[in-house]
Order: sequence, then structure tokens, then C-alpha cells
Amino acid sequence: MKAGKSLGAGILSVLLVSGVVGCGNNEDNTASPSASASASSGAEASKTPDTSSSKTEKVKITYSMWGSAEEGSATQAVADKFNASQDRIEVEVVSIPWENYMTKLNTQAAGGQLPDTGMMKEDGVIQWSSEGMLNDVSAMYEGSDSQPLDSLAYKYQGKPVAYAAANEVLLLYYNKDMFDKAGVAYPPSALDKAWTWDEFVAAAKKLTVDKKGKHPDEDGFNSDGIVQYGASIENLPWQLETWVLSNGGGFYSDDGTEVRVGEDASIEAIQKVADLYLKDHVAPLSVGQTDDGIQRTIIAGTVAMATNGAWNVGTSLNTAKEEGLNYGVAVLPYMKEKVTLNTGGANVVFSQTKHPQEAMEWLKWYNSEENNWGLISSGIWMPTLEKWYTDETLTHKWVDNPNFPPYDEYKSAVVDYAQSSAARPASWFYTNHTTDFNTLLGSILGDVWTGKTTAKDAISKNLEALKAAHEGSN
Amino acid sequence: METVSKAPRRRSRFFLAEARVAYLCLLPAFLGLIFLTYVPLLGVLGISLTNWTGLATPEFIGFDNYIKIFTTDPYIKDSIIATIYFAILSVIGSMIYSLFIAMLLNRKIPARGFFRAVFYVPYVLPAVAIYVGWSWLYEANFGFFNYLLSEVGLHKVLFIADSSYVVPSLSLISVWLAGNLIVIFLAGLQNVPIVYHEAAEMDGANGWQRFLHITLPSMSPIIFYNLLMSLIANLQVVTPALALTNGGPGNASRFMTYLMYDQAFVNYKLGYACATTFIIFAILAAFTIVLFKTSNRWIYNEGGDDK
Repeated sequence: MKAGKSLGAGILSVLLVSGVVGCGNNEDNTASPSASASASSGAEASKTPDTSSSKTEKVKITYSMWGSAEEGSATQAVADKFNASQDRIEVEVVSIPWENYMTKLNTQAAGGQLPDTGMMKEDGVIQWSSEGMLNDVSAMYEGSDSQPLDSLAYKYQGKPVAYAAANEVLLLYYNKDMFDKAGVAYPPSALDKAWTWDEFVAAAKKLTVDKKGKHPDEDGFNSDGIVQYGASIENLPWQLETWVLSNGGGFYSDDGTEVRVGEDASIEAIQKVADLYLKDHVAPLSVGQTDDGIQRTIIAGTVAMATNGAWNVGTSLNTAKEEGLNYGVAVLPYMKEKVTLNTGGANVVFSQTKHPQEAMEWLKWYNSEENNWGLISSGIWMPTLEKWYTDETLTHKWVDNPNFPPYDEYKSAVVDYAQSSAARPASWFYTNHTTDFNTLLGSILGDVWTGKTTAKDAISKNLEALKAAHEGSN
Repeated sequence: METVSKAPRRRSRFFLAEARVAYLCLLPAFLGLIFLTYVPLLGVLGISLTNWTGLATPEFIGFDNYIKIFTTDPYIKDSIIATIYFAILSVIGSMIYSLFIAMLLNRKIPARGFFRAVFYVPYVLPAVAIYVGWSWLYEANFGFFNYLLSEVGLHKVLFIADSSYVVPSLSLISVWLAGNLIVIFLAGLQNVPIVYHEAAEMDGANGWQRFLHITLPSMSPIIFYNLLMSLIANLQVVTPALALTNGGPGNASRFMTYLMYDQAFVNYKLGYACATTFIIFAILAAFTIVLFKTSNRWIYNEGGDDK
């Protein structure tokens, strides 16, 4: 009986564990049939018109987007205008919640049930392209009067495979009241007057105050009692690339094939960002655990300057402005070269579609800025077509509204900046496996921000793993 | 118990009828387990031998995923250490804490019902709200705990921003959340026969001796149950990493389940994630088996051996 009991206990224990672990796995197994089942109706709808070649029948295409059901119906309303404007193409919009978006696309791809066209997360485009899932879209803007900014084309093996649905650029936000109080000149909004790194740190020191009103470098300054920090550089890996490029280094070579993060210039730039907290005592500690930099700094009212993307104007700063925040926008400081990063989620045409021409025609129509005016006028998206940046009447139409900082400031620090030579595409526009690389880099740098190790030690020790991540082999 | 176990002679016929009913009632659950747990489990094993990404057609690659995990994977070692470290701290902490609180709540104190509710409430609060709340306490620059430390003139503690403190800090939350263990302990404590305590008291045993020689042995089956449940739950920890730390700083809170989630649903390496899942499964099974194997040495079972 004794043996029987322990055997029974052993079996029971295995069952218990497998039950619990198994539960987690059920989801990925059971999810695929149900997801593709619900998607199949859309895909079938797009297949049926194939059989009839009569001109009265419209070609049906589906467009998937991330967002709530309400956002979906708002987009459908835009698509209905397109549907009414011509008699060849009928667009149906499918909205999928952001959290499940890429997972759902993956399951649809596995089942051959993808929509014809849709949005795609930045870091997925090159991967999907390399697996042959995306169509070449170089024909999309042929013969068009205004093209998207060149930095907004996703390129795989030199060919454009997608255009960004929106433009975003990294900026320096600052709290004007804090500058006025400290008697420090505002950071420049004009690129040719951009602060050097040393000027930036010097200003940040004047804006950093401890409980007794002392600044770093002053006698008796207490770094444990800081009540206001001067500056915060967002250190999420993809944004960190800005500083590495600015110091003459890089995460990758220009064509995205080689890893350059181990070079001295790259490491030095990362250490300089870490030293803002460790040595200069002008920045709060951030170890890259959350993606809410502007809320934690400018909006919380604890930091005078902070870097982050242009979307913050519309997603959080305009509300804070209504509640009394007096903020401004400026160009980023620089180390050796003036650099900011462009980015923006992509609109793609899937290679499974039977109607690539119609899909591109819809995207081109939809991507014309009038159709995304809500997102653009609120400051969340910036237009992608060049004319909005070069034609000042259009720029006025875009920026001259109360959601934005003063026109001249935004025009110089954002509109002109975004089309200047400083604006470079974020690496996911031309490099594969950026998620793997950025995740690993972020984990490697965890102890660098707190000063337990140096950027040099951390990166040198893990350089081979980073190279493997870049090749997609770990 | 005693009255039932004295079986009459007609036991076998009665037993057969009873067995038939029992099997019939077990069947739905059994089928559910087969098709919703074991078949998918085999599916996971199957996928773990492929390079499936969800996009291209999966290819069979044998044990390559497992080999890669144990040779070049930059996360797995840290991940296993972090998970086991977290589980041990959390299990020991929450067992001691909840038994202690349960014993206090078992006394005839005023407003006992109120205090019982107070200690149970954390367990039923929405997890994300809890972690966001704790993140404000733990925040490295302006968090409440650091405000208190700076008020008394002490250096800041980085809590979840420091790779050495993050796991103990998260374990503390997990201990604080152990309201369910308190309830189960409380139920167990009420079944400890009062006569034993009275007899021991007559013999001059002090409180500690009575706890050690009466309460603990009588509670041992309950302790075992709580230990097992708490261990399995804590080895599968993922919420704090998702809600609070993103697995960081570094890999200090990259728990195994989080790693699996990241591989499967952020990087879409589904074959690889399935291999990781199987390794997690093996680790959980090993811990559980060890616990069961050693349990009969210390569990005092009043009902005797149930064969």
C-alpha cells in the first residue's frame, strides 16, 4: 500500500502541475482555430468577387487596424467615403485590440486568412517581409504629386515594402515655468542653435534642486534629497539609438547588416546617458521598466526637460496643458552629430492578397492626411506626405490650433526638424530582429543605469549574444 | 470516518454500483482534461520540436530548440534563478505570515470579523491595480518609501529598480497578497481539537510548546496543501513582471512564465516558446514530486492511511 500511495502521489503531482502549466498552453492551441474561424468570413468575402469578372461587381478588400470597436467604426466611416467615391473597390475595416493585434495577424497568417491590407507594428515589418508575407509597394506613389518623406519608407533589400501610416520624431520637451524660475534660457527650437551635450548638462544642473535649494556641484548638495531634476533622457533601447548615432557610433551599420554597438563611440554615448543620473545628478533613475516617460517627468512636474516622441503632444501633453502645464518643444541636444529618429507604424499590403493594386489604391487614398485629420490635428500623428512640411499654408492648417505649442516653436522644433538632415529612420525601417536586439540590450543595460556595472563591461561581455540576437538566432 | 470504513459483507456489490456512478460522474471532467489539457500538452511538445514562428510553415528541427536553450540562450539561466529565488522567498514568507495572522485572527479578539476581512481584501483586489499602487510606494526617485527614508535622513533604496532588491521587493507584495492562505489556515485552526490544548495546559506546556507539538502537527495536512498551492502559484509568477518591471532591471525579474510569454507573443518564436514551456513544466513537476515524496515524513494524518 505504501508503494501504491507514493506512486499515486507521484502521478497526482504530475497531473496537478500539468494541469496548471497546460492551462497556459491551451490558449495558444485553441486560439488559432477560433481566431481563424472568425477571420475567415472576412477573407472569404474578399475571395468571392474573384469568380465574377463583371464590371458591376466591386472588388472587396479588408483592412485591419488596431483599436477599439468605436475606432473601427470611425475608420469604416472614412472607408465608406472611399467606397462611395468610386465603383470598383469596396473596403471593409476590421478592428482588433492593440494588445492582441500582432498575435491575431500571426494566427491569420498561419491559416492563410490574412486581410488584404492593414496596419503593422514597426518592428514586425521587416520580419514579415523577410518571410515573404508583404508585397512590394514601390508602385504606390508613382506619378504622385507628393511623396511620403523618404525616411518613412520601410525598406527590405532596398525595396520599399511599406510606408509609415504616420510620422513621429523624437523631441526635447521642457517645462517653461521651471526655466523661468531658475532664470535659464529655454532650449533652442532651431536646429542650427541646438545645444551641445555639455551645454545641455550645464543647463540641467542649474535646474536640479535639492531640498535646501542647492544645485549639483555646489557644496552641501544632497543627491538623496533632490526635489526637482533638470533632465531625463528616455533610455528605452530604440530611443537610445539616437545618442549612439549622435556620438558617431551606431547600433548597426547603415545597411543594418553589422552590429556596431560594441564600438567605443556607441558605448561612450550610453555611458553619458547613464551618467546623467550617476555622476551629474541631474536625472531621475529610470531602468526602462515602463514606457511612460513624459508622464513620469514633465507631466508629473518633477523634471524640467525630457526627451520623447512627438505623439506625446496629443496623447497626454494637451490634457496637461489644459490643466495648467506650461511646456515647450525643442530640438534634441547633440554629442557629435545632430540626430533625431523618425518612426511610425506601417500600413502594409499582405502578399496573400489577390488584389494588390486595389489595396494600394485604398492605402494611398486613406493615407492622404485629410482622412486621418482627427489624429493629426490632436497632435498624435504627424503627416507623412512631404507637402505638409514644405508648403507653409498646409503647415499652418496642421499646427495652428490650440492642441499644439506656439506655432513658431513647433514649426521649428518639430516640422522643420522632421525633414532636416538630422532626422534618420529608426532601425526597424531597415533592420530585422530589432525586437530581439532591443530586448536583449535593455536587459544588458539594467545594471548600467544603477551604476553596478559600466556600459563598457556590460556590452563587451554580451556582444556575441547581441550579434546573435541581431541575426535572429537566439 | 470510522463509521464508514467498517464495511459490511455485501461490500463488493455495493461497491460496484458505487463505482459505476463514480466513473460516470468522473467522465466529463476526465474528457475535459484529456482534450483541453493532455492533448494540447502533447501539441506543445510537438511544436517544441519545430521552428514555428506562426508565419512560415514549421519545419521539424528535432531537439535544436532545447539545445539552444541550454547553450546560447541569454536569458534562461537568470530566469530560472530569478523564478526559484522568488518562489522560495514568497512561499516561506507567505506561509509564515499567513499562519501567524491566522493564529491571531483565531483568538477571541474584538471585531474579529472585520480584521479577517481586512487581511483577505488584498487577495480579491484587481492585480494590476495592486501592482500600480505598489509601484508608487517603491518608485526610486519620488516613491513613498523613499520619501520616508529621505525624511529620516537615510539613503535611497532603489527597490524594484535595483537588480538585487527587485525580487525581495516583489516577494513582499506576494506575501501581502496571501489572504487566501490565511482563510484556509483559519479553517484548519478551528479544527485543531481543543481538548489537546487543554490536556497540554494541565501538563504545564507553555504556548510555544503547544504550538510546536499540537497546533503544527494537527495543521500539517493544511500546511502541506497551502505549501503546494503556494509553490505552484509562485513558480508560475508573471503578473509583477508584466505590470511592474518588464522583467528588469536586467534579467532580475525575468521569470520563466514571463520569458515564455515574451518568446511566444512578443517575438513570435512559438516553437522555441513551447520548448521553454516544457522546461518550466519539468521544473514545476520536479518541485512538486519532491514535495510529495517528502510529505509523509512530516504530515500527521489523523484519519490514518487512506490507501
